Formats: sequence, structure tokens, C-alpha cells
Amino acid sequence: MKSTLGKYVKLKQDNFRYGVEKAKRMKVCYLFLLPYAILFFAFYILPIITSIYYSFTYYNILEPPKFIGLQNYINLILQDQVFLTAVKNTFVIAVITGPIGYILSFLFAWFINELPRWLRTLAVVVFYAPSIAANAFVIFLYIFRGDVYGYLNSFLMQFGFIDAPVLWLTDPKTIMPVLIVVILWMSMGTGFLSFVAGLQGVDKKMYEAGYVDGIRNRWQELYYITLPSMKPMLLFGAVMSITQAFNVCDVPRALAGYPSTDYAARTIVTHLFDYGFSRFEMGYASSIATVLFLVMILCNKAIQSMLRKVGT
Amino acid sequence: MSAKYGNKSIMPADAAVIIEQPAKMSKGRFAVVALIVSALLAAVIVFTGLRLNLLDSLALQVEEGTLAQEALPGDAAYLVFYKVGRALAIAALAIFLCYALIRLIDPKRRRPNRSIWGDIGVYVLLTIVAVAMVFPLVFSVASSLKPLDELFRFPPRVFPSHVTLDNYSDLFVTMGQSWVPFSRYLVNTVLITFLGTAGHLVVASMAAFVLAKYDFPGSKAFFSIVVTALMFSGYVTGIPNYIIMSRLRMIDTHWAVILPAFAAPIGLFLMKQFMEGIPTALIEAAHIDGAGEFRIFWTIIMPVVKPAWLTMIIFSVQGLWNANGATVIYSESKKTLVYALQQIQAGGIARTGQAAAVTVIVMLVPIAIFIASQNQILETMASSGLKD
Repeated sequence: MKSTLGKYVKLKQDNFRYGVEKAKRMKVCYLFLLPYAILFFAFYILPIITSIYYSFTYYNILEPPKFIGLQNYINLILQDQVFLTAVKNTFVIAVITGPIGYILSFLFAWFINELPRWLRTLAVVVFYAPSIAANAFVIFLYIFRGDVYGYLNSFLMQFGFIDAPVLWLTDPKTIMPVLIVVILWMSMGTGFLSFVAGLQGVDKKMYEAGYVDGIRNRWQELYYITLPSMKPMLLFGAVMSITQAFNVCDVPRALAGYPSTDYAARTIVTHLFDYGFSRFEMGYASSIATVLFLVMILCNKAIQSMLRKVGT
Repeated sequence: MSAKYGNKSIMPADAAVIIEQPAKMSKGRFAVVALIVSALLAAVIVFTGLRLNLLDSLALQVEEGTLAQEALPGDAAYLVFYKVGRALAIAALAIFLCYALIRLIDPKRRRPNRSIWGDIGVYVLLTIVAVAMVFPLVFSVASSLKPLDELFRFPPRVFPSHVTLDNYSDLFVTMGQSWVPFSRYLVNTVLITFLGTAGHLVVASMAAFVLAKYDFPGSKAFFSIVVTALMFSGYVTGIPNYIIMSRLRMIDTHWAVILPAFAAPIGLFLMKQFMEGIPTALIEAAHIDGAGEFRIFWTIIMPVVKPAWLTMIIFSVQGLWNANGATVIYSESKKTLVYALQQIQAGGIARTGQAAAVTVIVMLVPIAIFIASQNQILETMASSGLKD
């Protein structure tokens, strides 16, 4: 037993020594990596670490942080009713817009794949434009406006579906559906581009071979040939859509107001903003950020393992 | 050999032959049939349209009192009948024209495994969704060109009947009245965008180069951390970033926006994936010729990965152009263009027209950049996949 352990330790030591040797030989690599690594550490890793640290403290920027253990998390779950609303809203948005946006991105990338080149270019621009058009979504303020001049209200009233204007962005019942529509409108982002490019790269010979092997229709072709060859892009697209689905903030803030009626449009991120930049309770805000971060990582792990099984 | 669809005994070489099978009906006869059918459908549309107009004018006369109520033919069922009939006829015509177009123009390009009705379904769906996607963008452009009375009319129309640039000139008047000149915001944004993108390009592609082409201890672990960091949006890191920036005494300077942009994970990720496609032999050959790592990177690798660095530039520019930096910049004279424009947008109903103009200005830049460079972007995105 002891000798096995000794062997194991020795092996590890050898591996480590070998690694150090190799690292010494490849010093220049680290030199190349260094500038990025420093900045990346300072602005992406350190924030996560400090965020976790501050989540255990009471910190309001003016006084030095005071360690209070799990109190922030306890308050978050047991006391903060608004946080629970925010969690519910975030999950509703993420569960609906995440998968639907992802599937739509793929389906439309797949549909436009066979169009002639100029038409495909046009279609890519049309589908991708909403996601990069800065804050163009504020135009929905005019479309969903609560008075009769709002485009949707007047349209529905003209055709007699409703008699009085609906307060789309003020009524807690209609806020969420409107937000979901707007977020879906913006959901064809980087993942969509990745799908379009990936579909162009699938080997044409595979389709011919599949045809000869008796694939009868486009859906079989999609399942047996296209999806398996697209797996790397599918994984990348999943990361991008999880990020998008959980970090909903600008859209509810701009459309439903901040704070919104009855907190009906409050998401985890707007809650975080409220505590971080309006109330300056950095410790509490950090605990919200930590929760969000953990949820996103778990989601990502689950979805990645699910996607690995596609088409195999 | 008789080629039958789905016959497993066909030799692979025959696949091309099957793809080029001619359409069943000859072009001439098909054209005649197409003409007759579309003429019939058009007649239905015109007829129902005329009936609807007649009913409308009758209803108007009843309303005015020049005609008795009894003169109206039947009841509302007529109206619904003509309306539905007209809608159906238009839809049928559209689908039929689609079919005829695909059959007449495109018989040779058709791929196997695609039913023509499926294609039509896809095209119809694509058209509907594309129109829905474009509508808000078109609506914002159209609203920015409307005079005030048309912005508030009932019922509203999508397109202005009197096109005017008043909103844009009003916007410049509003901007001119603020005590910080408009050009200042523009300079701020351009400065942030330029510096942030330039630094990001150099720093991230150096890192991407060694991560893609050399296998050194820790390289894999580092890259997997970067991939996880793709999920860290500016929101999650916003608060600790604020604290870090304040420790670095960079709050209320442009560096607070620029420096994090240097290390944006998406740029490194795309660049690394693209660089993996470069043959290693190229680097080895340069090594044998005695070139140092930096020389290899700068004179051999960078020119080869031009599509990737264009993509990096575009992603970075888009991010920085849209960054309002509201959480780290407080002085009015240091604010970005987007932030200033958002302040105008927040001006409420009185600024409806100007807000639409702002939206158009802000959204045009990223879209224009994308259109100009979309070939390179798509080439880069082709290698964007995440390997297991």
C-alpha cells in the first residue's frame, strides 16, 4: 500500500519536474501570454474572486468591509421577496428565450444555408442586425406604447380586437410576454453567425454519400449528417445563448421602467444593479452576482453534456 | 441504369446525375399552366376587392343617411366571406408563384432530399420571420423621418407621408445647447473604441498564437478558463470591477472602459480557434530559417489570419461603440456618445422624434460595419466551434 502511494507521489513529482523543465524551455510562450494573462486576471478572474469574498461581508464602499458570514445569502433567500421575484422572472425569461432563441438561430441558419449567395448575405444581415443594433430595441417603446398612439394598440383597436388601449409595459400581466418577444427578436447573435459559417463548412460529399445511403428527406439529413458535423458550433452557440438568456438587464430597464410595476420585470441582474449602483450595498450585490454566476456555470455544464449526445 | 430516388444500389457517381434530372413537365407547357392559374387567382383578388369597396361605399352612404339600412346586402357574413376569400387568394397566389419560380428558374440547382412543398414552406416561413425581424428597424427609421403631427396620429402609419429631416436637425440643436459640445462625446467614443480595439488586437492575438500553436504546461487550463469567462458578462463583473477600478484610481477615466476591453475573452477565443487552422509546418519552416518567435508571429502568422483580426476588430468596435460606461464614468465631459444619446432618449414624449433619430444614428454604425465585413466575419466564425 505504502509503496503504491510512494510510486504515485514519485510519478507526480516526475511529472511536475518534467512540466517545469518544459516550461523553462518554452519561456517565450509565457512571455507572449503574459500581457493578456495579467489583464484577464485583473478584469475577469479577480472580479469573480473579489465578488465571492465580498459576498460574505457587509460593504458599502465608505466603511471597510465587515465579515458577516452567510448573512447575505440568508437574507437573499429568506428575507428578500423581490429577489425571489427576480429569480422567477430570470428563470422564466431564460427557460423560454434561451432554448427557443437557440433553436431558432440554428433553424434559420440552416434554412438560409441553401439560398443563393446574395440572398443569403441579405438574410444574415436581416437576422443578425437586431442583436447588434445597439439599443434599437427602444423602438419597442413606441410599438408597445400604452396609449392609442402606440402602434400595436391602434392596430388592434382598428380591427376591433380590443376596445381600450392596453398598457403593455405597465400592466404586470403583459410585461413579461412583451419582454420575451423583444428578447427573442434580439436573440440571433454570435451563435447564429457561428451556425451560418459552420453550415457552409459541412463537407458536401457527406450529403451525397448520405443520399446514396438512403436518406430520404431534409429532416433525416439534418439529424444524421448536419447536426453531428456541427457539434462544435452547437456547443459554442449554447455558451453564447446561456450568457444572453441569464444576463437580461438593458431590455427590461429600458422598456418596463426601473423599477417596473410590482417588480414584474425585475431580473437578477437589475436587482444586482439596484443594490450595487443605487444603494451601494456592495456586499449584498456581490452575493447576488455569485448566485447568478453559479447558476450560469451549472447550466452550462448541464447543457454541454446534453449536447454531446446529439446525433451520436 | 434507371435512377430511382432512394434506391440503395446506385453508385456514388450517379448522385450528380440524379441531382440534374430535368423537371417532369416541359418548361413551355408549365409556363402556360402557370399563366392560367395566376390569372384566375388575380381575377379572384380583383373581384373580391371590388366587392369589398362597393360594400364599404354602401356602408358609408348608410352612415350618411343617403341610403336606407335595408339596402345593405345581407349582413356582416358577406364582408367576412369576401375578406377571407381575398386573403386566401393572395396567399395561394404567393405560394403558387413561389412554386412556379422554383420550378422554372431553378430546376437544376435543386438538391436531393428536398421536397418542393417543403422548400415553399421554408421560404414562406423565412419571408414572414424576416419581415418581422426587419419591421422594428424599418419602423425606427420611418419614425425618425416623420414630422411631429404624424408621430402622434391615430391610426398611426408605418411610413411617413411627408418625409422630413426635422428630427435630425432638432437633435443637433439639442446637442448644441448642452454645455459639453457634441463633438466631445464623439471624440470620447472614438478614442475609447480606437484604443480599446488596438490594444485588444495586439494583446489577445499574441496570447492566441501561443495557445493555438504551442503545447506548454498550463495552456489547456488557461484556455478552458477563458472559455468559461465567455459567460462573464459585464454585469456579473460590474461591481467588483468598479471596486478594482477605484483601487487602481481609474474611476472616471476612459481607461476604466478601455482596459477590460483589452482582455475580452471572445476575441481571444475566436482568434485561437482560427489560428489552429494554420499548418504547423509553416511555423517549423520559419524556425529552421532562423526566425524568432516574435518575428514568426508578426510577419508570418498575422498576415495569414487577416479574416480573424478583422472579426476581432469588429466585435471589439461593436462592444465599445455600444458601451455607455455609466457605472465607471461620471464627468459629463468624459461620457460616451451612446450615454449622451441615451440621456436625450430619456427626455420623454416631447423628444419622441429626436429619440427615434438617436436610435437610427446609433444603430447604423454597427450594422454598416457588419455589412462591410461580413465575408471575413463568416470565414472566422467557421472555426468558432468548441471542441470536446
